[in-house]
Amino acid sequence: MLLQIDFKSGKPVYLQLVDQIRYAAASGGLRTGEPLPSIRPLAEELRVNRNTVAKAYAELESQGVIETIPGKGCFLKESQSPFTKSARQKILVKEIDEAVVAAHHLQVDREAFLALVKERLDSFERKVKDKADND
Amino acid sequence: MNPDSPIIEIQNLSRRYGKLDAVNGLSLTVRAGKCYGFFGRNGAGKTTTIKCLLNLLRPDAGGVRLFGLDPRRDEVAVKARLAYVPDMVAFYPWMTVRDTLEYVASFRRHWNADIEADLLTRFHLDPQQKSSHLSKGQRTQLALIGAICPEPELLVLDEPTSGLDPIVRREFIETVIGAYQSGDPGRRTVFVSTHLISEFEGLIDEFTIIDKGRNLLTMEADAARDQFRKIRVRFAELPAGLDLSGTLKVKQNGREMEILTNGNSAPLLAQLKSYAPEELRCEALSLEEIFVASDLLPKAAA
Repeated sequence: MLLQIDFKSGKPVYLQLVDQIRYAAASGGLRTGEPLPSIRPLAEELRVNRNTVAKAYAELESQGVIETIPGKGCFLKESQSPFTKSARQKILVKEIDEAVVAAHHLQVDREAFLALVKERLDSFERKVKDKADND
Repeated sequence: MNPDSPIIEIQNLSRRYGKLDAVNGLSLTVRAGKCYGFFGRNGAGKTTTIKCLLNLLRPDAGGVRLFGLDPRRDEVAVKARLAYVPDMVAFYPWMTVRDTLEYVASFRRHWNADIEADLLTRFHLDPQQKSSHLSKGQRTQLALIGAICPEPELLVLDEPTSGLDPIVRREFIETVIGAYQSGDPGRRTVFVSTHLISEFEGLIDEFTIIDKGRNLLTMEADAARDQFRKIRVRFAELPAGLDLSGTLKVKQNGREMEILTNGNSAPLLAQLKSYAPEELRCEALSLEEIFVASDLLPKAAA
């Protein structure tokens, strides 16, 4: 899992980290039980404030994505999500709304947008499957 | 001291050199654990402000408090809790690196020898080298070791990386994040004045842009990147009657436009969109671009 920050996105830096780690967790870039990079080396490498990384990890922990084992570090949790289905969908709705607004500004119409969503879903499922086949 | 009192509190600070108002009614507050950027053009009053913080200059009006204390009255108590790296560092030329660090350490109640050993290795500094034989980059590295080993609550950096090569600059910033900030994050505050804004971008929580001795803009970095936007738009044909009032700057080239906004980009985007542009993009400004754009902000009357 390699992380990167884009200051041009206008999204708070800690949220960029949260999103990328959640994506890595969902797409197999980070597996259950695998350690996340420690806060200090990651902050140094990305040259971001140490507190920003700590805030991202705290957020991921409160979302139930990772857990901290004292003295050992942070790890990706078992994939069963602690959220109810509706809570999980609520998180997703926020992100979908962002994409819908972006599509609106970029004048991507309904059909093209839905086709794109389907195409990305297919691509994601292929990636997950390839990953599983390779293991 | 009240644990909630700010680490730095500057109130209506003014300092004149003859007839020149170097600092003119500046106020800002730095809370504990933050990394605070202090940006301004040459001559904007940054170094004068920092010298007032360190009691190297006396304010003509207003005042500064550090850790809730008055640096004029409690100079020793204040200085014991902070360290300062200026842009030009000078050491006694006859001392070696080792002598210099021992000399600096002798003024400190606390000195972390592990950090010292780590950083000497990391920077490839030879303890037996005479300080007069060090390069500018090495002198800055030595100053940074001297500033971090006492593990002060406040690190004041005044143009610390100007004139250094990119690798030394990078190491400098990594050291501030790693060796300094990680120690006890809630009690590690950084106040940095710099022109190399993009290199410090990821480190900055909050910043103030100072212009002619006055506070031009104070914001949290994430909020600033959210508020200042660059919109690029291309039409098949430039529409008549576009309302671009309230924008910071408009650059037009034929049927293409680049618009800088300071907040309220959503209604503008909706308006542009209603003219069915061929292309419409919106991105955040980096802190450096915000600094450049701040020149366009309305200024308080002198």
